[in-house]
Amino acid sequence: MLKDKLNAVLKIDRRWIFLALTVVLFGAIIHPLGLLSKNIARDTQNAYEFMDKIPAGSFILLDLDYDPSTAPELSPQAMAVARHAFRNNLRVGVVTYSAGATGLIEQLFAVVPGEFKKEYGKDYVILPYQPNAVAVMTQMASDLYGIYDKDKDGKDTRSMPVMKGIQNYKNISLVVCIAGTSITDIWVAYVGDKYNVPFIAGVTAISQPGYGPYLQKKQMRGLLGGMKGAAEYEHLIKTPGKGSSGIDALSLAHVMVAALIIVSNIAMVILKYL
Amino acid sequence: MSHTVLIAGAWISAGLTIFLFSFLYKDNPFFKIAEHLYLGAGMGWWCQIYFGVLQEKVWTPLTHHEWLVLLPALLGLSLITQFIPKISWLSRYGFTFLMGYGSGLAIPAGLATDFINQIGGTIQPFANLAGMTAFTLFNSVLMAVGVICVLIYFFFSLEHKGAIKKVSNVGIYFLMIYFGAAFGNTVMARFSLLYGRFDSLYTFSGKQYLYATQVILIAMVTYFILHGFLTRNKADQDEEAA
Repeated sequence: MLKDKLNAVLKIDRRWIFLALTVVLFGAIIHPLGLLSKNIARDTQNAYEFMDKIPAGSFILLDLDYDPSTAPELSPQAMAVARHAFRNNLRVGVVTYSAGATGLIEQLFAVVPGEFKKEYGKDYVILPYQPNAVAVMTQMASDLYGIYDKDKDGKDTRSMPVMKGIQNYKNISLVVCIAGTSITDIWVAYVGDKYNVPFIAGVTAISQPGYGPYLQKKQMRGLLGGMKGAAEYEHLIKTPGKGSSGIDALSLAHVMVAALIIVSNIAMVILKYL
Repeated sequence: MSHTVLIAGAWISAGLTIFLFSFLYKDNPFFKIAEHLYLGAGMGWWCQIYFGVLQEKVWTPLTHHEWLVLLPALLGLSLITQFIPKISWLSRYGFTFLMGYGSGLAIPAGLATDFINQIGGTIQPFANLAGMTAFTLFNSVLMAVGVICVLIYFFFSLEHKGAIKKVSNVGIYFLMIYFGAAFGNTVMARFSLLYGRFDSLYTFSGKQYLYATQVILIAMVTYFILHGFLTRNKADQDEEAA
């Protein structure tokens, strides 16, 4: 009798699990529990501290290379980093090497600069999409305007106040790359290491463990991993956003998965020795 | 953006999300529509971006009599000749350039970043042995042992038996820990994406979007019930006829 029931548990239609997951996630969205990300990862803390120490008026390059498939994880990261930069009165140049990112960048910068009364052309500039990231990064080492002489709307970048005194990597205080692609590796190899440019990355949770060696060797000054990284950064800049609100759902979903794994393993053990 | 456009966007977004998720129940025509739309819209978006680049990097300079851009443009175009067998040999020029330029850039950078620097990163902590705490020493030893064991696991020129087998087995444990961490993070990433879509669906369920999520969801459930009912009736009739 018990054996049949346990077998039924192990052979449950997976659609019931999908339904349970939907209920758990929607429940957390409709009734937030406020389960904040209380443990700030060392790498997120390092990223925050490095950015926080950059003097006001410095220029940072923000590379946003994510498309709608990774936006739920990376968009909150990008938003938090942009807010931090504007709050500290840094000048921001936005670049992308992902064709799918252009619309998302416009969405983000339609919201965040306004919160800090930042002006386009004076405090930030959005540079156009460019293919072949390696060639672009190499060119920027000698003359940034060899590639980016115009912004995304075709306006001359040299005459913009935000670009004043910016010629190449020597004038850039930090590169932040938030990407769902392997472009992060390209920044480390072709820019960070080669020209000693400080580099911070924001990546998807899937690719986060692979960047441990770069962090250990200080080839990266900090790393934000997935939605958790976004929530941690939001916590540090004291501006809760989509990352923080997503932690509730993630925590509950993880509890559910862990419970399922434990229950099914117990059932397997009982079946084995019954 | 006008209010009507926002509402239309919300309905399209909620609709496509629900259509795609409906596959988790079973295959259906709405899923197919969303799938094909996704492919078509994605390709369309990429095309307009790439044509924009061609215009900016090739067409505009040519109109300013910068003839030098013809050289990379022709090399690029030569790659397309792969599709025309009679002149496909032309593509070799483009590929030769890509290979030479790509290797020249990638090999030194890759070697320095991913090879020499990482060997340094494994050995370097031991240079400061006297200043190490017990924990950092343990950490450094663990990492060095891990690197060596995993390297030996992937060293196939020696038969894995005796001491080599034991060391490579330890390497497997290190690899498994990495895979476990990677899998955990993968689960978290997938849940984040799911949360992103659900969050949008919740947003679009509001009055300002004319309850887009609820209406489309009810319509989908009705479709599945009706479809199930009709196909069951048809199956019964076929059975009776047989």
